[in-house]
Amino acid sequence: MGQSFHQKINPIENGVKGMSRDYILEMLNITKEFPGVKALDNVQLKVKKGTVHALMGENGAGKSTLMKILIGIYTPDSGIIKFDGEELKFSSIKTALDKGISMIHQELSPIPNMTVAENIFLGREPSYGFTGWVKAKELEEKTRQLFEKLEIDIDPNAKMADLSIANTQMVEIAKAISYNSKLIIMDEPTSAITEKEVNHLFKIIRSLKKDGVSIIYITHKMDELSQITDEVTVLRDGKYVGTKPSTQITKDELIEMMVGRELNQIFNKKQVEIVEIKEVALSVKNLSKKSKFENVSFEVRKGEILGFAGLMGSGRTEVLESVFGITPPDSGEIYINGKKVNIRSTRDAIKYGMGLLTEDRKLTGLFLPLSVQDNMITVNINEYTKGGFLKQKKIHADCKTLSEQLAIKTPSLNQIIKYLSGGNQQKALIARWLLRDPDILFLDEPTRGIDVGAKSEIYNLIFDLAEKGKAIVVISSEMPEILGLSDRILVMHEGRKMGELSREEATQEKIMKLATGELSKV
Amino acid sequence: MSSQVSVVDKREKSKVSSSSKEKVSRILNRYGMLFILIALIILMSILSPTFFTTGNLLNIVRQMSVVGIVAIGVTIVIITTGIDLSSGSVIALVSVAAASFAHPDTYPLIVPIAIGLGLGLLTGVINGTIISKAKIAPFIVTLGMMTAARGAALLITDGRPVGNLSDSFKFIGQGSVLGIPVPIIIFGVVGLISYILLNKTKFGKYVYAIGGNEQAAMIAGVNVDRYKIFVYGYAGLLSGVAGIILTSRISSGQPTAGVMYELDAIAAAVIGGTSLAGGIGAIGGTIIGALIIGVMNNGLDLLNVSPYWQQILKGVIITVAVFIDSRKNRKS
Amino acid sequence: MKVQKRLILFIILLLLSAAFISGCGEKQESSQQTSSQSGEKDKIVIGAALPDFDDKWLSYLQDGMKEYEKAQKDVEVIYVDAMNDASKQLSQVENFIQQKVDAIVLVPVDTVSAPEMVNKANEANVPIVVVNRQYEGVENATAYVGSESIKAGLMQMEEVAKLLNGKGNIAIMNGQMGHEAQIKRTEGNKQIIEKHPDMKVVLEGTAEWDRAKGMTLMENWLQSGKKIDAVVSNNDEMAIGAIMALEDAGKLEDVVVAGIDATPDALEYVKSGKLKVTVFQNAKGQGQGGLEIAIKAAKGENVEKFNWIPYELVTKDNVEEYIKKWQ
Repeated sequence: MGQSFHQKINPIENGVKGMSRDYILEMLNITKEFPGVKALDNVQLKVKKGTVHALMGENGAGKSTLMKILIGIYTPDSGIIKFDGEELKFSSIKTALDKGISMIHQELSPIPNMTVAENIFLGREPSYGFTGWVKAKELEEKTRQLFEKLEIDIDPNAKMADLSIANTQMVEIAKAISYNSKLIIMDEPTSAITEKEVNHLFKIIRSLKKDGVSIIYITHKMDELSQITDEVTVLRDGKYVGTKPSTQITKDELIEMMVGRELNQIFNKKQVEIVEIKEVALSVKNLSKKSKFENVSFEVRKGEILGFAGLMGSGRTEVLESVFGITPPDSGEIYINGKKVNIRSTRDAIKYGMGLLTEDRKLTGLFLPLSVQDNMITVNINEYTKGGFLKQKKIHADCKTLSEQLAIKTPSLNQIIKYLSGGNQQKALIARWLLRDPDILFLDEPTRGIDVGAKSEIYNLIFDLAEKGKAIVVISSEMPEILGLSDRILVMHEGRKMGELSREEATQEKIMKLATGELSKV
Repeated sequence: MSSQVSVVDKREKSKVSSSSKEKVSRILNRYGMLFILIALIILMSILSPTFFTTGNLLNIVRQMSVVGIVAIGVTIVIITTGIDLSSGSVIALVSVAAASFAHPDTYPLIVPIAIGLGLGLLTGVINGTIISKAKIAPFIVTLGMMTAARGAALLITDGRPVGNLSDSFKFIGQGSVLGIPVPIIIFGVVGLISYILLNKTKFGKYVYAIGGNEQAAMIAGVNVDRYKIFVYGYAGLLSGVAGIILTSRISSGQPTAGVMYELDAIAAAVIGGTSLAGGIGAIGGTIIGALIIGVMNNGLDLLNVSPYWQQILKGVIITVAVFIDSRKNRKS
Repeated sequence: MKVQKRLILFIILLLLSAAFISGCGEKQESSQQTSSQSGEKDKIVIGAALPDFDDKWLSYLQDGMKEYEKAQKDVEVIYVDAMNDASKQLSQVENFIQQKVDAIVLVPVDTVSAPEMVNKANEANVPIVVVNRQYEGVENATAYVGSESIKAGLMQMEEVAKLLNGKGNIAIMNGQMGHEAQIKRTEGNKQIIEKHPDMKVVLEGTAEWDRAKGMTLMENWLQSGKKIDAVVSNNDEMAIGAIMALEDAGKLEDVVVAGIDATPDALEYVKSGKLKVTVFQNAKGQGQGGLEIAIKAAKGENVEKFNWIPYELVTKDNVEEYIKKWQ
């Protein structure tokens, strides 16, 4: 049924009111082939002056390739790019910047030991003629002015390394704006920042719009569409699907355009209430770690999903890392199945039947140069060894079964994991723990940076696991995710537990109030 | 539901069409250096009529066996993102220590061998312990061991060689079995054992995991400290093996032996495709890397190339080989 | 045995320091150096600046100095090791001058930085005796004691030429390229070869003074199939390596091998007839001579500018004499 749906959308005439506004950017019939893969097939993107244009699609749909062509990293095989009425052939990022196109990259790349001001003006520092001697005062002043205009409260002389992730993202945003570009590309700018900064960013975007700046806004978050964007273009599998005004499109329509199939419910949890009270699998009492968190207590029952909500830096991740033995707590008690345990290392935690899917896949999860299979077996390798030797056949058989169960899309289990998409990498990491079959599973931001199709698969997987009696703790910064998944939600603020909400009483508003410390429910 | 299946099918298809090309590039990836080795052998055979003879080929492998064995240990260390600069000096220390127990009619053969291997293992374990427990960079720790072990070798011998070795000890480096020189046999056995360790055992999987992402390995329950000590211990042990062979081959314990061997070993590993960034590397590649160096040394000597030019050429060939290797990795 | 005892001591030391480092982590102890100002003024104090205590041959030279020092009354020698670092040696010489030693014995790290050190000593009116390494302008020093490197090459090659009856193919095994001894010895070899029209250099390579590398180089040369009548090596260690490779190939009978240095190991090879020629550079003689002249200069006596300690040719005929010297 997907087919007929596309045909309804006429890609050229998309019926927006208030015509006559010129296009700042027209990318027409763009095709780009990589060895063996057609990354873009006859794709188009038209952005009107002074609008925010959302670009959506699953990972691998071609969004990044299209943007890389726009800023001159790749050259297209065919197609035309018109920018501000003039046909463009970009040869480097520098020319793109000179023409007035800048980009906020999704993967932040600050230089940690340089100051905020130095990072922003890297490559165009004010200096004394040919000597290259940098005018430090002027550099600082320019940054201060920029921050004042954007109402950003960060010290220009702070070292990048000392900033939080959210502030790092704000600096990147300020940097892109500082070029005074006519078109700014924002690649998932809100994936690492909290509600507060998101609102701030939206404010900045609105004022940029007023100044006639156009924005291409890449996002996975449906809510942001109606909040900030004017139009949306959807790509799928390297092909153009359609462009629609953001206000006229429903969530379901959009999802269907992106995945090419119907997706009535992302959270199709079987609403079977846990009637019988099952026994407590994990109980944590008065856990403290100096300057990280204080007096945190919680319990999870078998078959229950406990959500951990809170802003970045509220101590959610640190609590789980402590329970898991990465950074053992200073004080407090941990009980598993009613028995007190002493966990001093990750090996202890695994021995007691715990598993942890970490927040940052690349930094603390994946073995990037290794195969999918080798990534999967790490935790459970002892069960696959006999006299020191690996039982290769059994390993392969088990990994194959599991990867089929989880629908991990990979040409083979020997594929290097670096080349899989984010969603499939995440599934492989979940598989790593499932092979071990832990009773208690901690999932820290299980769907960060993965596309909507894979997200829903991972949600289903989490529900399945709970149904099988696993005790699950989920950390998430995405409200709909935490509300949709959890049976109970624990909210943290500045290292303290602010309260617990049952599934019934939990709303976005209540969680925010607890998370910002406005309200306490303990 | 049906449309979901079709989406998956389409993706699978595009993966399949790209995978045949992937296969070609994978073969190039895996065997690129082998092609370079073969090309070098063909080139040398054309330039020198005596190059491609059984005698000379055995000669090359025997000459490279000492550095080759060291390189295997170093490869495993590098896979864990470490480095071992102490190998050459440990060879010297092992050399004088083993030699001093290998005089005729003193101790049975097993004693000097055990002393040599034990001492090599010990230096490696010390390296590994300091690196993992005190969290000091491998470069610094092994640099320290490099200096200390060389100093110790000179100190305990007053800088003079230890000669007069028993015939049974000399057999290790000079004898042959069924026409194959003993050093080559030992090289082969060490290569095989190391291959099995790295590819067929838990130890190997953990080595790659630690190199791929140490933090992730720790979270997955790998006892990272212990395996690092194993890895450096094994590298030290192999330096011990190399030291014994070298000592036996030159019939004397030399406190100045093995100078710069660590760099030859690292070069062999890197030419063989081991990534200094960790997580990537294979025993077969390292052996090929060692042979490339061996063929170059031998061929340039055969052709009577001036010693100055030899150094320049070696530098150029090493850089070019690694350059080609890195280009090809980037493409995939 | 001495070697074994020291080995055990070293291992204990290693283990202790490893335990210390991994145990206490950051803790550091600053070892205080008590600099002993050795200066009762009736004694003659000589400063001896040596390039490298670890060098085998130099250790014999130092032995020569120590023996001579023991035989003298009221002479104290301070030995310092520059660890092959010229700038370090310069500051050591400056320290000697500051300490007001009565004379300096200098074995230069390299011949480029030596004139500077000699000038410093001259300015301070401290007698300075340069030993072993000659350079242009060495006459500015109080005296020079040593042997001429090129003479060793000449002497070695003359004997080889005699053994080959003035004709044949020669392979030259160089030490580390660029070292003074390598350059001069090979130059001496070639001067003699040029005098004999029937002799020519067919192979030349470097084995960096090292026995194992000498062996490898010889093996490769043998594989080249070139006819070799003599291997002339810049030092004994490489020559021994060559002998071992030749023995393996069963070709030692056909090839004359010659070295330089007359180390104890090499003398055994001369004795057994495997090494035909070596040249004795009298390490102890140079050390002893250097110190002797420095003491004379310190006392204000007149000394000769150039004091040649002659090279001595060692062959099977006179080898016993040299073996005794080392005992």
